Amino acid sequence: MAISFEHVSYTYQAGTPMATSAVSDVSFTVPDHGYLAIIGHTGSGKSTLIQQLNALLKPTAGEITVDDFTITPKTTNTALKPLRRHVGMVFQFPESQLFEETVRQDIAFGPKNFGMGETDANKLADAMLQTVGLDSSYAERSPFELSGGQMRRVAIAGVLAMRPKVLVLDEPTAGLDPQGRQEMMSLFERLHREQGLAIVLVTHQMEDVVQYAEQVAVMRDGKLVKFGTPAEVFSSESWLRENQLDMPQAAQVAQRLANRGLTWDSLPLTADQLADQLAARWPREGGAHV
Amino acid sequence: MENIIEVKHLTYRYQEDDPRPALNDVSFNVHAGEWLAIVGHNGSGKSTLAKSLDGLLPFTTGEVTVGGIQLTPETVWQVREKIGMIFQNPDNQFVGATVEDDVAFGLENRQMPRTEMLPRVKDAIARVGMSDFAQREPSSLSGGQKQRVALAGIVAIAPDVLILDEATSMLDPQGRREMLALVRELRQTQHLTVISITHDIDEAAIADRVLVIDDGQLIDEATPATIFAQGERLVELGLDLPFTEKLKAALRQRGIEPPANYQSAVEMEEWLWQSLSNT
Ligand SMILES: Nc1ncnc2c1ncn2[C@@H]1O[C@H](COP(=O)(O)OP(=O)(O)O)[C@@H](O)[C@H]1O
Ligand SMILES: Nc1ncnc2c1ncn2[C@@H]1O[C@H](COP(=O)(O)OP(=O)(O)O)[C@@H](O)[C@H]1O
Ligand SMILES: [Mg+2]
Ligand SMILES: [Mg+2]
Repeated sequence: MAISFEHVSYTYQAGTPMATSAVSDVSFTVPDHGYLAIIGHTGSGKSTLIQQLNALLKPTAGEITVDDFTITPKTTNTALKPLRRHVGMVFQFPESQLFEETVRQDIAFGPKNFGMGETDANKLADAMLQTVGLDSSYAERSPFELSGGQMRRVAIAGVLAMRPKVLVLDEPTAGLDPQGRQEMMSLFERLHREQGLAIVLVTHQMEDVVQYAEQVAVMRDGKLVKFGTPAEVFSSESWLRENQLDMPQAAQVAQRLANRGLTWDSLPLTADQLADQLAARWPREGGAHV
Repeated sequence: MENIIEVKHLTYRYQEDDPRPALNDVSFNVHAGEWLAIVGHNGSGKSTLAKSLDGLLPFTTGEVTVGGIQLTPETVWQVREKIGMIFQNPDNQFVGATVEDDVAFGLENRQMPRTEMLPRVKDAIARVGMSDFAQREPSSLSGGQKQRVALAGIVAIAPDVLILDEATSMLDPQGRREMLALVRELRQTQHLTVISITHDIDEAAIADRVLVIDDGQLIDEATPATIFAQGERLVELGLDLPFTEKLKAALRQRGIEPPANYQSAVEMEEWLWQSLSNT
């Protein structure tokens, strides 16, 4: 089960003079119900990589397994419907894909397309609207009269209405305000924890990576240059700098204190981890233990 | 200090019968040469305000003066000469087939003769470090490169005021840092007044002054340090908490009482170090 990439490569316009290699020879495995973050510079191949998870792009070489599905260069389009249902994909700017007259119709579109009756699909749409934090008064509104953040939620509700088992998110919070970002990230975390959804998240927010991800893949120039837990990936400051990646802020503070002579049991990656270690050695009345 | 922009009692409604105006009796001044940040959560009215200043939304109540000219349907083109705007989504602001065409477009609109225009376009593109891309199609560029081209368009027109409407919010951290560095440099060399609408704490920190807008109303105006000292309330204002504030909250939960005033990362580190080595 789970998700695995075996020697996957992807070339745009393969076989033409315009051919561009975007992903080359990537292999990794994420366990069942995992939470994977993919990080790396703009242009490093993150979006190309994840669009192969529902065969929107088919690998030029190699093989991808997602639970019971196998995707190879030979996968035919006829086999894709169940896969597309299994793997829900939230693109960058998902709001640009809204098109129906009302919010409810937009969310119900996918389920109806997959054969669900009108009444059930509408009921499901209303439930999903609630899941993404919008009350039922939004159901009858036009998706085009909403603020950017609200449109983003409607688009995500449409993906969730398909009841996917794997949720792929390409920079899902870019452009939202911090509160909206926080709410979205908590929603994905809840779906992961309560319903066992596997999550694949492309992000530039290192704070989200250390807070939510169980595994991290680092892409550079189309290659997978590191794969491991957040603690493994963020263990070397010099390696991160070479790869133009930011350290999480807690680790930056910890590192600066380490430069002044403090030692850490393990490098703290979040504010809570840092506060735990600080509290453990905080001087009580009568003396410090530095 | 001289005011480059004066806004008095500005109210704007998208629909005439809207009980909650998108802008509600907003008044403030922008000093010539300053960097002003405007913050507020999604939907609070920031873009509506920016568009009103540029005469893109015809408000009915209130008064806007830019560079001494009162904004009216008659003066709107004069006012627009003085303001350059860059928006959030870099894809929605290109008209030219190449980078060079695109930068030239703004000048053509101002009926500048071609002989004068070409060197000016080249120079503007060089200023933002995009000379190697002058003949490229804008759609083939990365987000950060697109925002640079948009900045070149601003340099060519040489306005007095630059408004950035969440212009860095779709960029990766490096792209964001590069763009802000470039704006800072242009501000010096072009004598720009900068208004940046942002949710980014680092971007707001560059400002001389921060305005906070909520539900169409101006609710606060202060220096960045004063604003950042509001701790957890910052999230309601549409800003992220600085890491120092997150850490303070986590320490308080563990029975440690940090100083109440705003601390920069360096000050926080110093305080931690002193506390830990204090015997
Ligand atoms: N439709 C396309 N045609 C040709 N090249 C593309 C296309 N989409 C992306 N690329 C190229 O593939 C590489 C990886 O891009 P992408 O997967 O979008 O990276 P990321 O998501 O990490 O920013 C880049 O060099 C990009 O220019
Ligand atoms: N074209 C429009 N038609 C109707 N309402 C709008 C339109 N654009 C924005 N609004 C509403 O005006 C308010 C302020 O929006 P906006 O100025 O875009 O906020 P911000 O830029 O702070 O996110 C929001 O409630 C939004 O829904
Ligand atoms: Mg991408
Ligand atoms: Mg806006």
